[in-house]
Amino acid sequence: MSQSGRRSGLRRILAWIDGACNRLYGWRFNPFYHSGALVVMLFVVLLITGIYLLFFYRIGAPYTSIAALTDEPWLGRWIRGLHRYASDAAVVAAGFHLFRMFVQRRSWGPRTLAWVSGLLLLALVLVCGWTGYVMVWDVQAQELTQVGARLFDLLPIFGEPISRAFTGEHPLPGSFFFLNLFAHIALPIGLFILVWVHVSRLARPGLFPPKRLTWGIVGGLTALAVLWPVQMTPQADLFAIPGQVVYDWFYSFWLPWSRSLSPAALATATLIVAVVALMVPLLTRPARARRLPPSLVDERLCTGCEQCYLDCPYEAITMLDREDAAATGKSPRVARVDPALCVSCGICAGSCAPMGVGPEGRTGRAQLGTVRDFIAARQPVGRIVLVACERGGGGIADRSEFEGALVYPVSCGGNLHTSVVEYLLRAGAGGVLIVSCPPRDCWNREGPKWLEQRLYHEREAELRERVDRRRVRLVYASAGDRQVVQTAIRELENALAALETASPERDIDLDRLCEVPEPVAESTR
Amino acid sequence: MSRLLRIAAGVGALVGVLAILRIGSFLSYIAERHPEGVVRLAWRARGEHVRECRHRSAEELAKLPPHMRQEEVCEGRVLPYRLVVMLDGTERINREVRGAGAREDRPLYVTEDLAVAPGPHHVSVSFALEGAATAAAETDAHATPSRLTLDTTVTLAERRVLLVTYDEDRKTLISRY
Repeated sequence: MSQSGRRSGLRRILAWIDGACNRLYGWRFNPFYHSGALVVMLFVVLLITGIYLLFFYRIGAPYTSIAALTDEPWLGRWIRGLHRYASDAAVVAAGFHLFRMFVQRRSWGPRTLAWVSGLLLLALVLVCGWTGYVMVWDVQAQELTQVGARLFDLLPIFGEPISRAFTGEHPLPGSFFFLNLFAHIALPIGLFILVWVHVSRLARPGLFPPKRLTWGIVGGLTALAVLWPVQMTPQADLFAIPGQVVYDWFYSFWLPWSRSLSPAALATATLIVAVVALMVPLLTRPARARRLPPSLVDERLCTGCEQCYLDCPYEAITMLDREDAAATGKSPRVARVDPALCVSCGICAGSCAPMGVGPEGRTGRAQLGTVRDFIAARQPVGRIVLVACERGGGGIADRSEFEGALVYPVSCGGNLHTSVVEYLLRAGAGGVLIVSCPPRDCWNREGPKWLEQRLYHEREAELRERVDRRRVRLVYASAGDRQVVQTAIRELENALAALETASPERDIDLDRLCEVPEPVAESTR
Repeated sequence: MSRLLRIAAGVGALVGVLAILRIGSFLSYIAERHPEGVVRLAWRARGEHVRECRHRSAEELAKLPPHMRQEEVCEGRVLPYRLVVMLDGTERINREVRGAGAREDRPLYVTEDLAVAPGPHHVSVSFALEGAATAAAETDAHATPSRLTLDTTVTLAERRVLLVTYDEDRKTLISRY
């Protein structure tokens, strides 16, 4: 079993969550597949609601202005609620996105920039939330302010201790609330810049979730704001020691410890967590010997068609002018892979009709060699072959057989060259069921999307016309979707059995028999 | 799972997540279990600034680049004060307060919180220069006096703060709620 096939406890948890959500919402609307895009969508919600709230916020009377807004029974109350709940949901979505990337080990090598910028984004969101809660100037704000001031006092750069401003010695100046408001408005600009950095190495980044999911989540948060509105908690009073403090766990989870820990201890703990998180790319990087090699281009075979360049999800391939084109009569352009950007997904190998590109051992040619050995060893004549993605693919890639079908593992559905499918059928396999991860769950981003287009929409390198489509099916299943695979096998078995006794009329009903198998997956949920 | 059941479960899960979001957004903790009051000492004092100068020797000057050969070098610092706080006759604080900054040439800052049981208390605070004041300090209108004291009896309510601070206009320690 390959390294990617091993499943840790965390991966089992993730597979269970994904499987459960796929059953409830279908893979298209599984919110956990869109966790990163959800954060961006929630940023937009926060921006819109924040602009509205800005009209009512008064620096000279922060608490009373927000209390007046909260008392407003119509728009004000629920927009404030939506702003708050959307900010909480953004932290939850960002946390889950981080968890997914960590568990799937999509955090090292060329993905280091995304990991580090993602951490900075999360930190900035938390700081932005901090300033937002200080704006309210209630008891939580008082606690946050006083802890923040003590933390600032650790820095040897201020002329006088910041915490002095919050002892009650002098009334709090309006400039404090102005600065805080300025930070609360300025930080989101940094957020959007960081989002741009975060996705800068991705081709076609998916910044927004599907519309139905967007409206479902915004509607849910709005309903929450209306039905369970945000309430005011007591006003900050620098001459009072708070007893019970109502706080937002998502932003201030550390606040209850702030009284028992000294500022130095709190800062040290934060620093340790930050350093460990930033070191994840180093900690999760496999040993050199176990790392998958980057793609290579065989320039003798490259026709300069640009398909690998178009399909690469990480913009790791560029097209260059071939120096010896005129002399050799070869294509004027040739593909070149930047190993520093290549995550070794192998999607380029699946895109190359002449099989001239791909990671060592997973190029189209290498795949033909592998499938030849598989056929020789396993004798698939008359049987169904499950071509399963090792990362997800129903979690069956580490088996040799599943439900009576032979299992042929691939590193990614997008890496699969369609010639392998043809080879299996020509060798006598009864049918080929390709079990790919759902499109938004692909570890390599766009593997299932390109695979589906190569199988059914003639994208290079397409499944040849001569291949009997009735014997080929594609099903999307995450690691926790084993039942989806079982159902798909049964359906393919039935379809193959029907082929044996098919009348000519049924035999040519290609629309029914060669449908893109998404409805198969949907019908099982 | 039937379609209806799936929709119901999906809506139920969404409601559950939203409820968790709401509950998590309004959790509470006990910041201070004991209903004690606090005597807070917070002030800034300019203190007395002293300057100590010396002449560099010829060898020292020779080692320096030409543009840095200043014959006289001076270092200033603020003289330390001693803070003594007595609560109901018991000494709670007795420490030296030095000027802020690496060279101790910044003002003196006092920030202390003393937890005390609610009720009447006798508070006695003394903030006095360590050693004798210089003649310059005695004539400096803005300088903090070489000795500040406060002797008062206060009644502290639960979870309330009594602030002891320095009134620069009156050049004395005051207390207020």
